[in-house]
Amino acid sequence: MAVSLSTWVLISNFKLAYNLLRRPDGTFNRHLAEFLDRKVPANANPVDGVFSFDVLIDRGTSLLSRIYRPATAEEPQPNIAELEKPVTAEVVPVIIFFHGGSFAHSSANSAIYDTLCRRLVSLCKAVVVSVNYRRAPENRYPCAYDDGWTALKWVNSRPWLQSQKDSKVHIYLAGDSSGGNIAHHVALRAIESGIDVLGNILLNPMFGGQERTESEKRLDGKYCVTLRDWDWYWRAYLPEGEDRDHPACNPFGPNGRSLEGIKFPKSLVVVAGLDLIQDWQLAYVEGLKKAGQEVKLLYMEQATIGFFLLPNSNHFHTVTDEISKFVSSDCIKTIGERIMQCIGALLCVDYVCLFKCFLG
Amino acid sequence: MLRYDSTSSSAGSSSGSLSSSSSSSKPPQQDIDGLLAGAGYKVRSSELRQVAQRLERLETAMGNSPADFSQLASDAILYNPSDLACWVDSLLTEFAEPPPTCSSDFIVDPVNNQTVVNSAWTAAEPHTPQVHQNITYDEQQSLDNQLTVVTAMEEDSGIRLVHMLMTCAECVQSGDLSLATSLIDDMQGLLTHVNTVCGIGKVAGHFIDALSRRIFQGMGGGSVNGGSAFENEILYHHFYEACPYLKFAHFTANQAILEAFDGHDCVHVVDFNLMHGLQWPALIQALALRPGGPPLLRLTGIGPPSPDGRDSLREIGLRLAELARSVNVRFAFRGVAASRLEDVKPWMLQVNPKEAVAVNSIMQLHRLLGCEQTRNSPIDTVLSWIRGLNPKIMTVVEQEANHNQPGFLDRFTEALYYYSTMFDSLEACRIQPEKALAEIYIQREIGNVVSCEGSARVERHEPLAKWRRRLSGAGFRALRLGSNAFKQASMLLTLFSAEGYSVEENEGCLSLGWHSSPLIAASAWQAVPAWDNHMSSS
Repeated sequence: MAVSLSTWVLISNFKLAYNLLRRPDGTFNRHLAEFLDRKVPANANPVDGVFSFDVLIDRGTSLLSRIYRPATAEEPQPNIAELEKPVTAEVVPVIIFFHGGSFAHSSANSAIYDTLCRRLVSLCKAVVVSVNYRRAPENRYPCAYDDGWTALKWVNSRPWLQSQKDSKVHIYLAGDSSGGNIAHHVALRAIESGIDVLGNILLNPMFGGQERTESEKRLDGKYCVTLRDWDWYWRAYLPEGEDRDHPACNPFGPNGRSLEGIKFPKSLVVVAGLDLIQDWQLAYVEGLKKAGQEVKLLYMEQATIGFFLLPNSNHFHTVTDEISKFVSSDCIKTIGERIMQCIGALLCVDYVCLFKCFLG
Repeated sequence: MLRYDSTSSSAGSSSGSLSSSSSSSKPPQQDIDGLLAGAGYKVRSSELRQVAQRLERLETAMGNSPADFSQLASDAILYNPSDLACWVDSLLTEFAEPPPTCSSDFIVDPVNNQTVVNSAWTAAEPHTPQVHQNITYDEQQSLDNQLTVVTAMEEDSGIRLVHMLMTCAECVQSGDLSLATSLIDDMQGLLTHVNTVCGIGKVAGHFIDALSRRIFQGMGGGSVNGGSAFENEILYHHFYEACPYLKFAHFTANQAILEAFDGHDCVHVVDFNLMHGLQWPALIQALALRPGGPPLLRLTGIGPPSPDGRDSLREIGLRLAELARSVNVRFAFRGVAASRLEDVKPWMLQVNPKEAVAVNSIMQLHRLLGCEQTRNSPIDTVLSWIRGLNPKIMTVVEQEANHNQPGFLDRFTEALYYYSTMFDSLEACRIQPEKALAEIYIQREIGNVVSCEGSARVERHEPLAKWRRRLSGAGFRALRLGSNAFKQASMLLTLFSAEGYSVEENEGCLSLGWHSSPLIAASAWQAVPAWDNHMSSS
């Protein structure tokens, strides 16, 4: 089980830094955290075809988001008045991204996440909205979910993000670690709201529970993370006095809510084989399946956490391919096209030809 | 057991390009690992293995005594986290490492030619008792921002205003003054549809004024900043009170100066712009409390001459002397009256060779960037004599903006963005008349950037990256501002200001910004030894 040297150095360094920041009494050395976190500014000049700018979504909570957009051929150099120009394509996926950091670390403008979001734009031809949600322990549950929900409502109400095809915003929720957890809970909140979430992408999502699972015992301390670290983060995020069977942490646990019969978005869940909380992530996938929800599991046996931060492994490319397929598969699916596709499949006919004939 | 594969890493670093997040076109550095650069870390590929080994040693040490480690975090002053090799080394030095055990050795596996780490992940960390306390965190009181309901029409008008401002600036640049004038009229009209109390309407109004002044006065330069020195001082003082930018500047510079003066008994601070001397009481008090006792402190304050026969510099000096006396710091003050910084000659400062000198420049150096790039331009002259003083430290604080570009439209666009952000941050200020006067202070700056040219345009802000090149080229090297300065700056912010401000560290310099846009940057410098001097004091 070999990992590249760069990845090892990166993850090790994070582990080291994180250990400096968590105090045994449950407080967090926020000043040092901000000092150590490598951040990058937004850049309205396209770099590799992607430009970014920061927007204040909610003044009351200082909720910032960084928006990433692809530069177009006609507009290779957007000026500041045109950052919010309407998207022009028929279908433009808008991915609302929640960065990781176990609810306590990192920001939307952390270098690792800025890089990741830029990749997502190129990969999915999408607009990416990276949400700078409030973090623990200063802001506990449900602040991060509230901020995610605010961002979702904001994105959904931007006229300039509406796809030309149906004047609606095509929204996906994505996140890694705590971000994955947030994506799930925001999707839950969206259910009765009338806001359509087309899909959830969860990378090594952060879930847990009171019980100690097999993977937790087996992998405790083996790959940069210990069980005690996870316990600390849950204690920092969950309301005081709550245990890890709180539904925020354990959505399909004893206090969870059933998703049967609910219109929950399809999910892509990526689990790393060397992640000690994988049993909880796999239980999450099972929970979705049992409730009749559409979910695809990508189990990367030899991957450690954070493998998607550097593009230097097979795991990275496998996952990015799947994400791209997950998002683009909706780009062609109006009701009519879906019907055509079904008929085509039944008749073993190229549905695109059929559709064109249908149009005359 | 985790192994790392050194063969795939070298493939990664040679083919990996610098990440798309790098915004400036820096020349690609030889041998820097491209993938880690994308994560914000500078490590040479050739050093990667060493860094990995040291990280391993630190992990082992950490596993042995985790309590010491978090204490380390509170006590140690840490520098430049981007330079991973240095950072890991500094931690190793701070933390007394146990003698290396052979379990940390690296073995080369001859069969696969891979480096295998016989890793000493500690199996179980010693159990520290969990103390459950009811820890309450002071949630930052988010200010009760009045909700301005922006209607759809207002939002549209705001966007249209920005469009028109840009078009107008373009016309000014190309000389189409008649179209520019009619745009001014249209914009004045549009202003009536937009909320001018805050947001885009407010700052647009100032830019419309500045453009209009530029057009109607021709290119001869306006008398925009005809305000007297006295007026300027009042406005400056209110700007100081209304928002944290100047407090940050003073605080950060003082911290660096205090550290530089450590161990010296005779110290001399040269302040390039005394104003009301707001920066110095804190330094005097800090020196008074210094372990081992305060040094003899001399302060030389530079400022414009007073027109009415008052010696305002001396008055301020007297007040500071009072304060110094009250805390038992031996203090001497000297005022140097000069209308322009370039008129000051080093002999006027009467620097004693035995003293430790600190040169303090808060938003003054940019005024020396005259439009002509001649060989003995004012900036070169001044930097040269500063270097001649061989100061222990030179603290430089400048606006983090690019307002000195030759093209008018570029300058205008930058200024629009910069000052919108600054005005936005000012919304958080609740106290009057500080807020109103601070706005006038900023408005004057806008006026100078937009409507003045030639020698009248003194607000020639340049970003930190440019200052770094300029100062390095003039024979200075950067001193790093460390994590304690960062922490104190952050704490200052939480005490005095609204949420939304943020401090960032970037290669040893600190910047203060509003909602992740840096607006002011602080750095510290020292002269490179004279044997390397290829810049004679011309």
